[in-house]
Amino acid sequence: MHTLIQTFMERRGDLLTALWQHLGISIAALVIAMVIAIPLAIWACRRPKWAEGLLQLTSVLQTIPSLALLGLLIPLVGIGTVPAVIALVIYALLPIFQNTYLGISEIDASIEEAADAFGMSRMRKLFKVELPIAMPQIISGIRTALVLIIGTATLAALIGAGGLGTFIMLGIDRNDTALLLIGAVSSALLAILLSALVRWFQTAKPRRALTVFVAILVLLGGGGAYSVYANRVETITIAGKLGSEPEILINMYKDLIEAQDKHVKVTLKPNFGKTTFLFSALQHDQIQIYPEFTGSVLETLVKGSNPKGMTAQQTYALAKKRLAKQEQMSLLEPMKYNNTYALAVTKQFKREHQLTNISDLTRVESILKPGMTLEFIDRNDGLKGLKKAYNLDVTAKSMEPALRYEAINKGRINLVDAYSTDSELRQYHLALLKDNQHFFPTYQGAPLMKTSFAKRHPQVVTALNKLAGHISETDMQEMNYEVNVKNKSAATVAHTYLVKHGLLKGDN
Amino acid sequence: MTTAIEFQHVQKDFNGQTVIPDLNLTIDQGELFVLVGTSGSGKTTSLKMINRLEPLTAGKILVNGTDTTTVPVRDLRWQMGYVLQQIALFPTMTVAQNIAVIPEMKGTPKKEISQTIDDLLTEVGLDPHEYRDRLPRELSGGEQQRIGILRAIAANPKTVLMDEPFSALDPLSRQQLQELVLRLHARYHNTIVFVTHDMNEALKLGDRIGIMRHGQLLQVDTPTALAQHPVNDFVRDFFGASRAKNVYDVYAGRVGLVQGYLKTRPAVAAGLIQNLDVQAPLRTVFDALSDHDYVAVTEDDQVQGYLDRQTVMAYLSAHEEV
Repeated sequence: MHTLIQTFMERRGDLLTALWQHLGISIAALVIAMVIAIPLAIWACRRPKWAEGLLQLTSVLQTIPSLALLGLLIPLVGIGTVPAVIALVIYALLPIFQNTYLGISEIDASIEEAADAFGMSRMRKLFKVELPIAMPQIISGIRTALVLIIGTATLAALIGAGGLGTFIMLGIDRNDTALLLIGAVSSALLAILLSALVRWFQTAKPRRALTVFVAILVLLGGGGAYSVYANRVETITIAGKLGSEPEILINMYKDLIEAQDKHVKVTLKPNFGKTTFLFSALQHDQIQIYPEFTGSVLETLVKGSNPKGMTAQQTYALAKKRLAKQEQMSLLEPMKYNNTYALAVTKQFKREHQLTNISDLTRVESILKPGMTLEFIDRNDGLKGLKKAYNLDVTAKSMEPALRYEAINKGRINLVDAYSTDSELRQYHLALLKDNQHFFPTYQGAPLMKTSFAKRHPQVVTALNKLAGHISETDMQEMNYEVNVKNKSAATVAHTYLVKHGLLKGDN
Repeated sequence: MTTAIEFQHVQKDFNGQTVIPDLNLTIDQGELFVLVGTSGSGKTTSLKMINRLEPLTAGKILVNGTDTTTVPVRDLRWQMGYVLQQIALFPTMTVAQNIAVIPEMKGTPKKEISQTIDDLLTEVGLDPHEYRDRLPRELSGGEQQRIGILRAIAANPKTVLMDEPFSALDPLSRQQLQELVLRLHARYHNTIVFVTHDMNEALKLGDRIGIMRHGQLLQVDTPTALAQHPVNDFVRDFFGASRAKNVYDVYAGRVGLVQGYLKTRPAVAAGLIQNLDVQAPLRTVFDALSDHDYVAVTEDDQVQGYLDRQTVMAYLSAHEEV
């Protein structure tokens, strides 16, 4: 409870921004869905065959998994708010359409006959008789849609649209229950609150309801217009993958760029879901820069086969060359640390058995009790290949990522797989073994951008190149530890590092 | 008398089946005309063809001398009130809003509409302050149909169409509303076409009655003529079927209808004549005739005619087996 309150106090600024974004996306999606679904349902009321087809179609749309839908939308409309809103609209169509259609078509035939017999025009009949009678059902459809939208909008965080999902994603990623709870509870509260508001609309006098509705739209629209106005200076958008490490890096980018060029403003979009989302966003100019790893470039982003046993320099050179040629992109100078798969043991175990390299493990084969993630055990560039490369004969227990650290901490196992910059290495006093055979591919981080952008912004390139060769694995572990365990903000941690290492002038 | 509505060789088919082969009928201005018949006789369809809720298959209908298909359907309907069996008040509108539906569309000034609503409510015995802002679901069935009638006549239409308006109501409300229709008709002199399957209702309301069967009009006549000279057995039976289950429950007016009233006031002392309402049952008439020589049958305090012992005995012996 204490940590929950503490986290809440530290994050309340972020929470407010996220709430605002969440609300904006949700309301926009709801209004658009209403504008589409209600007239369509009214139109379909007189055409039962069409109505049947449209009901089927909206039902099918709703069964598309939301992640798949977002993935499908990125190549078409890019990332950020637009695809998020489109996806939400698609989900909201069914309840609104269905309820409006049923609400109107189930009106008693004698009421319709009365309206006709009094010579009401189509429009008058619709607005004076049919819509008022169907209103309770339409409103309940809107409420269903709203609750659905607010829940699903948490996924918007995956494609850089922000919102409360950011808290949930971060909470999951950092195993931080407080963050996760704050995100989930806020989202639930928002749903309840808005649902009550919609119900109030139903009972309120029409004029007052309309006034409040317009006020909400103006407020949200005004907020949007203001943010556009405030961003008139040249804005560079930098995004990062999910996790503390990319967030720390992009905060460093921001500090360095803004210190170099006062006319540039950097917006950050942390915690993007997947590598491909980011790469696609860069291709479509939705973002200008994001930190990428040399190994990931060769594995997933560019075409071509990769020779085994490359050094860090060779990996970088190849990644850079292929990116320039195939994608007209520039991968700037990498930092020092290599965020790759690694094997870790406790510092004590390392000392006792005088282990330095992975090859040293063959000496202690008989007493090894490895616990590793299922993915690592099963990959050819994981344990399978490793055993061959080092002629090692061990069998590993498969364990959940978080559990294996717990297990080695309690002494149940004595060898784990890890990412070389995991904050847990620092937290549980673990040491890495050197990959002396260069078995694991190298994953060095470097800023990725389009070549055209790099040419137009030489000052940005200069600023970012200051990081080249800096930040060791221990540095990164330490910084991840500060963010994940000590709950410091990524911005603070990034700034402190830059100042301490003389890359940025300190604040006086 | 000028003609209000005229059916000329009207034919109506449903899904290729002819339900009304050839209907000819003239309804006069200011007349309360009742179309009566069993279900499926085509009476409701005939009514709905007047305001074009049902299109005609062939022939034409003239309203005030104009072919209904030559005027815009909305203009036609705005000058015709319509009362439905299901009442069908608009459930989201208040009583006042329901009554205002047609005047509002016609662009009548708001003040005038508001005044009309108050007048009409008062006229049907509902306090405007209490009822104006009620919703239909807060009213009893009888009250709802009163509003249904007011909604139909609010714009002062020349013609009012009523489609079995009281058949879903309890007997007491039905009787009160029948009287209301007669009162409103006497006051506004509009033409009313009233559809019912209840012969008693037809006899009570109709200036003239049209009896329908299988889409054909068998006889059109005044209640008295219909009672005394039915054109065939069906009409006779239909009329007969409207009698009471028990002879004591037959109402006084029916004796007058069937047997004919004594029209001139008998030259006897006032003390020997007792006034009775047309709805009074025969048991009351017997009672009255035991110590009076004559019964004066009244409707709305207007004497319709006189009955004596002979007339009543003749009715009992000759006309109807009970």
